[in-house]
Amino acid sequence: MWTFLRRRLVTSAISLVGVVIVVFFLARLTGSPASLYLPESATQEQIDEFNRINGLDQPLLVQFWDFLVGAVRLDFGNSIWQRRPALEVTLEALPPTLALAGIALALSLIVAVLLGSIAAVYRFRSPDRVISVVTLTISSIPDFWFALVGILIFAVQLHLLPTSGYATPAAWVLPVATVMLAPVGVLTQVVRGAMIDALGAGFVQNARARGFSKARLVMRHALRNAALPIVSVAGDRAAGMVNGSIIVGSVFAFPGVGVLIMGAVLNRDFSVIQACVFVVGIGVIVVNILVDALYAVIDPRVRVSAGKGK
Amino acid sequence: MIHSRKTRRLAALAAVVTGALLTAACASDTPEGNAAEGRDLTIVLASEPVSLDPCDTQDAANAQVLRANVLESLTRIDAETGEVVPLLAESWEPSDDNREWTFTLKEGVEFHDGEVFDATAAAASIDRVLNTDIGCGNGTTDQFPYEISMDVVDDHTLRLVSAEPDGILPLRMTYIDLASPKTPTDAKTEDPIGTGPFQVGEIVQGQSITLEPFDGYWGETPAATSVTYVYRTEPTVRASMVATGEADLAVPISAADATADDRTREYSDNRVFFLRTQTNKPPFNDPRVREAVHYAIDRETIVGALMERSGRPYDQIVAPTVNAYIDGFEGPTFDPDHASELLQEAAADGVAVDTTVELVTRPDLFPGSDEVMQAIAQNLEDVGFTIEFRSLDTDAWLQLLRKPFPAEQTPNILGISHDNISGDASFTFPKYVASTGTNSTLENPEIDSLITEAETKAGDERAELYQEASRILYEEEFTLVPIALQTKLLLLAPGVEYEPNGLTGVELRIGDISFTN
Repeated sequence: MWTFLRRRLVTSAISLVGVVIVVFFLARLTGSPASLYLPESATQEQIDEFNRINGLDQPLLVQFWDFLVGAVRLDFGNSIWQRRPALEVTLEALPPTLALAGIALALSLIVAVLLGSIAAVYRFRSPDRVISVVTLTISSIPDFWFALVGILIFAVQLHLLPTSGYATPAAWVLPVATVMLAPVGVLTQVVRGAMIDALGAGFVQNARARGFSKARLVMRHALRNAALPIVSVAGDRAAGMVNGSIIVGSVFAFPGVGVLIMGAVLNRDFSVIQACVFVVGIGVIVVNILVDALYAVIDPRVRVSAGKGK
Repeated sequence: MIHSRKTRRLAALAAVVTGALLTAACASDTPEGNAAEGRDLTIVLASEPVSLDPCDTQDAANAQVLRANVLESLTRIDAETGEVVPLLAESWEPSDDNREWTFTLKEGVEFHDGEVFDATAAAASIDRVLNTDIGCGNGTTDQFPYEISMDVVDDHTLRLVSAEPDGILPLRMTYIDLASPKTPTDAKTEDPIGTGPFQVGEIVQGQSITLEPFDGYWGETPAATSVTYVYRTEPTVRASMVATGEADLAVPISAADATADDRTREYSDNRVFFLRTQTNKPPFNDPRVREAVHYAIDRETIVGALMERSGRPYDQIVAPTVNAYIDGFEGPTFDPDHASELLQEAAADGVAVDTTVELVTRPDLFPGSDEVMQAIAQNLEDVGFTIEFRSLDTDAWLQLLRKPFPAEQTPNILGISHDNISGDASFTFPKYVASTGTNSTLENPEIDSLITEAETKAGDERAELYQEASRILYEEEFTLVPIALQTKLLLLAPGVEYEPNGLTGVELRIGDISFTN
């Protein structure tokens, strides 16, 4: 298990360094910050001065070296855009993103397990068909459309929710629902498939023969055996949520990493782009390792094989 | 509603998935409405101020919150007439050569921190903008081309001396917002202390800024007792916030969200959309080819159909409030046959009118600008031009906008959206029309000398010189092709009254907002 974790950490760290390096050079292809921050009439001296203050006058490789030296000490430099340390800006955006992702993922799992199990139990009958059509439709709706239509219906027409913001619990409803769209659709299908397999397995047939109730059969025996594929897909979704939703940020003015990255790119704020990629990268690695650890908890076979140093 | 059935179905879907789980606790939590009390305002803007420093109000997002509300300047521009009128200065007097301007300051004015506003305070504040190294957005060479020295004559008299004769020094003073003498001079501040009717209250970064009333304000007390600004990127969300009562004013909104009643107000932000041909490059070095561009474009149809609520066809390159505007002037109208004739004439004289010409724009020129430019490309092709349409990012577009224009560069027609809210042509002509202008392709000695002369003059004399230059530009040179005077929309909640004007985008005076219920 520990060998496995160690190996996992090393390979993850290598990919993180790779991504951070690629982003360093890609970000600089977006153009010069000077042309964005200085007025159209800026003289060459003003441009040179701006570049000097922001360390952009150095050759690219020197800038890269400075960046690497700083990054090792978790110093990504100052944000040109917000004039504060880039890491501070990034870490401020993280809690709302994580809270939104956590709530959306938990609710998606609950909804998916409920709907998926019902679909599996009533396989090929009308409840199954209705659930499939509904969840597939939901996961096919473009999120920006859902977000805007959601505002028009629930805020403007029905006056049930505020249009946007994140200060009150009510303001979280539409953002959470928007982020849930795709995961609910996919996870329900995964739960359904895994449950159908599990319900058909010999031990469940056996339990049924012994007269266990249907609910107990599904929730205790089948679900535990169906958990592996559900955890894999949920983990994959969670990794995707760590970088925040741009749609939720820009439509609902819900702060988070997604809008921050978008703002940083538009404002050619290289330090914040780099800090965000670094922080999100670590988030993805942590999620992946958690998922692996969950495998071991759920399935003793994983524990045994990992223990052998596989 | 076109999609009523679809939306109803969607409502049902959404309710199934989320409603049961989430709304139960929140359903009673209706959005707060504050229009009923009527006096606390909430304004939803497109973006958050990037800086609250008094010396950064050149940026529209900063200015819209601070100018005229928290901060005031010596002079201000009357949005209706474009004239410079008194604010913290009561009057001013130039010397004969327009180099020395003596300002008499208002008495009994106090900053929010209790400091007295006098000539010394004004001088210190102006000095902070013009002569410190803290990276002020205001006080650029655009706004202040000549060195200025200050002379405190007495408590309420301040003399400004310009290194060169300057006919519009009082106008330039609108660009300096005066802050308390206690404002740090070695760093920017996030706590702007001015003389305006409001002072900055709570700031929640990324969410809102609240302005609280200033009891010691020298002028008329605004009807609104406090103002909260919030920011939403999506225009539909801004409009929705007014519809739900979450906001009293949304600015700007898009045409798609405009209401049919008087709650949607249209206003010009003194921005003109025009094309620039390259006078210095074949085939445009022949004036007939440039003239043909004017006749080729069906402005009425294009602007009417594609810029329905965002512009109206226009014949000049500055808004009516700018002194270079010629009253009643009408430019060439749509006449494709005449355009073709002009091109054929030029071709007969050996001008290579079939040279490929790039029609260059950028997607964010204004909403829907790419479609407008494509329609223009079609018009130009129809009369015989060979057009290559290019929509570039801002950086690449800027490269083509500014000098130099190397010989190997493909000749182009560039789409430009230029605003001049100052009322004075010196913020347009030296840059776009004079031969020395960074964005100018024109070389006309007569226009140059008119512009140079105008710089030193003031008032009507100045305006006449600029108008003369305009006339040569429009009737002989045809270098710039005016297309539309751009307009914007804002949305008011019931019971809120505000008449937008040309300065609304940079100076949203809370004092101009009133309540009818």
